[in-house]
Parts: sequence; C-alpha cells; structure tokens
Amino acid sequence: MSKRLIMIHDENKCIGCQACNIACRSENGTPDEVTRLQVRVEGPFGDAPNLHFKYNRVSCQQCEDAPCVKVCPTGAAYVGEDGLVSIKAEKCVGCMYCVAACPYKVRFMNPETKVADKCNFCKETRLAKGELPACVTACPTDALIFGDANDPSSEVVKILNTKPSYQDKTHLGTKPRLYRIPTKRGGSSHEQYLGRYGAI
Amino acid sequence: MNNIWGDMAQYDPVTWNWIIAIYLFMAGLSAGSILIGIGLRWYRSEDDRKSTKESAILKAAAIISPIAISLGLACLVFDLTKPFHFWLILINYNFESVMALGVLALLAYSPLGIAYALIVLRDELPRWKLGFLLPVAQVLMPFRKAIEVLLFILAIGVGAYTGFLISAMNAYPMLNTAVLPALFLVSGLSAGAAANLVVALLMFNVDSHDKELSKMHRLELPVMAIEMMFLFMLFCALYFKGGAAALALASLTTGVWASVFWIGVVGIGFGIPLLSMLMPASSRHTKTAMIMVACSGLTGVLALRHFIIYAGQSYIY
Repeated sequence: MSKRLIMIHDENKCIGCQACNIACRSENGTPDEVTRLQVRVEGPFGDAPNLHFKYNRVSCQQCEDAPCVKVCPTGAAYVGEDGLVSIKAEKCVGCMYCVAACPYKVRFMNPETKVADKCNFCKETRLAKGELPACVTACPTDALIFGDANDPSSEVVKILNTKPSYQDKTHLGTKPRLYRIPTKRGGSSHEQYLGRYGAI
Repeated sequence: MNNIWGDMAQYDPVTWNWIIAIYLFMAGLSAGSILIGIGLRWYRSEDDRKSTKESAILKAAAIISPIAISLGLACLVFDLTKPFHFWLILINYNFESVMALGVLALLAYSPLGIAYALIVLRDELPRWKLGFLLPVAQVLMPFRKAIEVLLFILAIGVGAYTGFLISAMNAYPMLNTAVLPALFLVSGLSAGAAANLVVALLMFNVDSHDKELSKMHRLELPVMAIEMMFLFMLFCALYFKGGAAALALASLTTGVWASVFWIGVVGIGFGIPLLSMLMPASSRHTKTAMIMVACSGLTGVLALRHFIIYAGQSYIY
C-alpha cells in the first residue's frame, strides 16, 4: 500500500520559538530574503486574563489536489510517487503561475536559482536517508509529528484518532496533508477555532 | 524584517503585476481586432465582394493583430524569472494547465496572424519597402480562406484564454469566476474595434464616413452593453457568494484600484464613448473626435485589465 506522508502541527505544544524555521533554512540552504517555513505568532486572542496566542505554521500544505500542480504549464510542479508535491527545477521557466495559484501563499521564487521553491518535507535531503524532516527533529516541544497516515500503527494516525484536528482552507478542495491541533488555552473551545481558522 | 518569524515580502498576494496586465490587454486587443476585421469581411455587401481591394479596417486589423500579440508575448517572456529558458514552455506540456493550452493556441495563432497580414497587406508591401515578402504572400494566397477561418477560431480562443488563465486560480474569489473569459473576450472586441478605427483613419486615410467604419461603429454600443453586463454579473457573483468573495467588493470602494475602476474603466472607458453619442453627428464624425473616443475606449480596457489583475489578486479566499 502506498504511503500517505502527513505532518501534524500541535498548536497546543508549539511555543513559536522558530527552531523549525531556522532548522529548515539551514537544511535547505534557503536564501536569507525568503523562507519555506514560518510559524507566525498571532494574537493575543480572548479577554484578559485568559489571553492566548495562535501559532500558525505557514509552509507548503502538501495538498493531495494541488492547485500549483494543475496550473504549472511545463509539469515542473508535480506529484511524485511518494505523493509529495515537488518541483523539477530543470523544467521551471519562472512564470509564477504556481506562486499565484497557491491558496496558502507558500510558494516563492528562489532569488538564487530563479526557480519556484517551497517545503517538500526535506524529501531529498532527509527523507531519502530515512530521517525525519529537519523541522520535526529540531522542535524542542515535540509539536511536530510526521509519518505515514496509511499505516494504522503510526503515531500520526493515533494522534488524529484521539485529538481534534483541522486543516486550513479545506473548502477549496485542496485536501492539505498538514493537520493542525488547535490550542485549548484561554478558555476558547476548539470549535471557535474551527470557525476562526478552519472553515472561513 | 520585524517579526521573529522573518521577512513577509514574499507573501504579497499580488504575484502577477502590470506587465501581465499589459500582456492580457495586448492579447485581447490582438484577438478582438482580427475578429472584427475578419467578421466584417464575411458580412460585407454584394458590391464590396466584387472589389479585389481590401477594406481599410481589415488592413488595420492585419497590422494590429500580429504586432499586439508579439508585444504581449515579449512582455510575457521578459516577466519570466528565467526569460532565456522560455523554450522550455514550448517543449513541455501539462494539458491540465490553462497556460499550456494557451501556449499551443498562441503557437499557431501568431504565425497564422503574420501569414494573414502578408495576404491582406500584399498591395502595401512594396510601399513599405517590404516588396521582398510579396512572393510569400503569393504562395499563401490560395490558402486564404483556410487561414482566415483557422485564425478566426484561434482568435476566439486567444481572446477568451487570458480570462481562463486567471480564472483557473481558486485562491482568488474575484478571478475564479466563470464570466471572466467572456468579459475579456468582449472587452478585447471593443479594444480591437477602437484600435482598428485609429489605424484605419491614420494609416489608410479612410474617410470618417466610410461604410465599413460605420458598420464597425454600430457594433460599439451593443459590445459595450454586453461588457457592462458581464462586469455587473462579476460583482453580483461575488456579492451573492458572500464571505471572503463578498469582501472582494471592497475593491470597488477603497484604495487606488477603486479609482482605476471608476475613473479608468467606467468614466473614460464607458462614459466618454457613451457621452460622445450625444454630440451632434457633424462634430461626432470628425476624425479628431472619433480618434479621441477610440483612445478613451482603449484606455478603459487597459484600466480594466489592471483593475482585474491587481484587485483580483489583492483578495484571497
């Protein structure tokens, strides 16, 4: 059975420290002016003293129905056998159609290679060696969990089965493979989060 | 860079800028101009059919169409981050992508447009010191009907294609609507008519009361009415969809693109040509008045492309 690699970002455990951001930059040699991964600290939300922040991971959502792949005229943006959305640099002309089409705005033009760039779960550098993506390894609070959702014994499946989770902009039909576990702090229920971030 | 998470510059939702707006304008202009040129040729009177001379409108269209598409494509190529690798797009095709289909259409449309221009302008070539192209025009002559039909069909494709190109992005509520290709095709027709008129008057010294010219002139009002209707439909679609789509209506009331819309598209693009119809026929049909009205029409369509590109990308689902 084929793999379905997913990532879970537990916004409860995340502290917005940017260790993932830095690890990603160092692993992938991302030029200074651009980033593949940010954790934006949004808020505070709620009324004092029950204030809380939202830790919003901004990176490629690895959509199963990816708009960037559909629009790419040359097939430079493609879904590989591993199911991951990747880029063939040698086919990219830099038309920026994928950058415009991405509803999550996580694609960018790499100023050094002039090719569209984004997170690929460290496919070539780390997954190829059987290691976890750099951000997952670097996270000090274990807020990132990575694994195969088609394997019933995997940690990601156990978490998705036991904790409430949501995905971003599911109404666009992109089927993102980045799952998020909403914060419970500050007296807000997770349904309020779904209203605020999930299903707008 | 004030955030701990880094620079936000790359997250500007406006990815495609004015260069793309000019390309969209040029593609619409090229398609609209040749559609009107060929259309009027097919519907000319019995008397005109006897003459072997080409009409000034068709000659104008034959010049505008290949030049506009070439300029547009030049904009497109130099907007690529790797302009000298543009050939990659000509050898790799993803048939799911609207852009790939557009490349195929343009690949046939552009040379056919040039071939058709040589046929139509065969009498002018020696005057422009391009006499050496006459043998090519002679070779192409027997295929005129086939080229004309093919070019007409491809022009409909090119005119609507730019609308499909940007409506394919479901990230943007204002762009992701079904009326956009139709709106672009119709506004391309009005730009094409206006440009044909300017070139016919200035280059081919056609009389401002010319039969073909007034035939084209009669198209203007219905085309403009359809254009307004499509624009109205676009905003209605956003309004009734609600949510993030309805928020995009703010582009009509706030910011610089609201001014571009109301002054450029509505005031200059629709207002001036409509008001000019109230002028007495004697002054309305002077060369100067006609050219000024045509130029305001062209400005309106150019403003519309800019409004759609910028306002469209500023609001994201």
